[in-house]
Amino acid sequence: MPTTSDPNALLATLYRENHRWLRGWLSRRLQCPQDAADLTQDTFLRALNSRQLEQIQEPRAFLGTLAKRLLCNLWRRRQLERSYLDALAQLPERFAPSEEDIALVREAIEAIDRLLDGLPLRARRAFLLNRLDGLGQQAIAERLGVSLATVERDLRRAYIHCLTRDPEQP
Amino acid sequence: MKPPRLDAPTQSAVDWTLRLDPERATSEDRQAFAAWLAADSRHVAAWQRVNGLLQQPLADLQRAEVRSPGQLDAAKRALDTPASAQRRRLLGGLSLLALGLSGTAAVDRLAPLHGLLADHHTSTAQRKSVTLADGTQLILNARTALDVHFNDARRRIHLHEGELLAQVAADPLRPFVIVTAQGQVKASETRLLVRQEAGRSLVSVLRQDAWLQQRDGSETLLHPGQAAWFDERGMRPADASLLTRATWSQGYLESRDEPLGRLIEAMRPYYPGLLRISPAAAEIRTFGIFQVDDIQQALRSLAETLPVRVTSYGPLLTTIDRA
Repeated sequence: MPTTSDPNALLATLYRENHRWLRGWLSRRLQCPQDAADLTQDTFLRALNSRQLEQIQEPRAFLGTLAKRLLCNLWRRRQLERSYLDALAQLPERFAPSEEDIALVREAIEAIDRLLDGLPLRARRAFLLNRLDGLGQQAIAERLGVSLATVERDLRRAYIHCLTRDPEQP
Repeated sequence: MKPPRLDAPTQSAVDWTLRLDPERATSEDRQAFAAWLAADSRHVAAWQRVNGLLQQPLADLQRAEVRSPGQLDAAKRALDTPASAQRRRLLGGLSLLALGLSGTAAVDRLAPLHGLLADHHTSTAQRKSVTLADGTQLILNARTALDVHFNDARRRIHLHEGELLAQVAADPLRPFVIVTAQGQVKASETRLLVRQEAGRSLVSVLRQDAWLQQRDGSETLLHPGQAAWFDERGMRPADASLLTRATWSQGYLESRDEPLGRLIEAMRPYYPGLLRISPAAAEIRTFGIFQVDDIQQALRSLAETLPVRVTSYGPLLTTIDRA
């Protein structure tokens, strides 16, 4: 990287030297070239927002990390969407939701998943049983086959996870 | 990385939330809790914070559940999906907090990721023509996402963002409905434009009549040549402008004595990064034809013909200010 501290000049250089490489990298991981182009653009926008451009030692490692994060989010959203649509397909016909409700539920699922991202699976399940199903700690312990103390520890961990999460994190 | 510590009131609020488990809490617990809550206004705020987690998505799920039973269960099943091995492998060892990332809102606005899940979507500077099963022709402007829902009784398009021009094929039995976040437009055979902005929508009827139906149930008949903005508060007629004429479908924007701000607004989906305009520059009147497929050239010609200073900071940021 050049030794200037103008973030826009730094970004311009970063873009010029790496965008072709990044798009190729993403294209190999996505079937759709349009998705790859979108994610390439998103990656640079995120780099622009990171405000640490002058500290980047290894631009491709930095961009690769950002791109991986976006790629993971995309996969995760598609995976959630698929699971939700699978569950919908098993509902009786007369319960078919409206498009508005599908959109509402889809967004709610993504919001909850984002908040819990990174939480270990057992704590995640305990927290969802508590908040979504309204189960008490004893009932959760029985459902998950663990001790009451474990449930309490998992729930505490989940609360702290959610409360200390950077709200700006994707 | 060590997680950041909670402040003392929040820590206590978590303790109380766990202690007030409905199966275990005694009346002494509840009294002690009431005393804690009353002792300090910061305790109330902390309690609200802890118990407000997931409040919005949970309320949304419950609303959907009331209208269509089974939604809560479907959501729970979806949320029980563990992250795929593919994802874990990719994420392994990453410390993203260390990168100090911020500002996802700007990213979402500029290159909407949720568009990738829609039936049809376009990215920056891309237009697309789609012919639907009934013969209706859609042209999507850049950065547009929509879903198509057709069945035996109705034809419905959900416009999530962006803009579309529809040449609706006649079907006397199935009305054609375009739904936005603020209402919907209904017609049986027509040519019209619908645009979804943040918090409001625009409809412009180009040929034959169409009905605008607002969220409160009120309906307004629009004739060819008429256009309207609509949002949560109501609708108001829109003057003919470069936004209502839909010339982008032919690759250009035509300004007839219109403010620069509006022209830039229409150019945004063709610019890959941030296009910032100052309020003073936004008011300058403009005339002329601008090709959207060469946005850099369009910006250069604005700089040459108007009293503005157009400054590019690399490929992702351009500012426009009054010279």
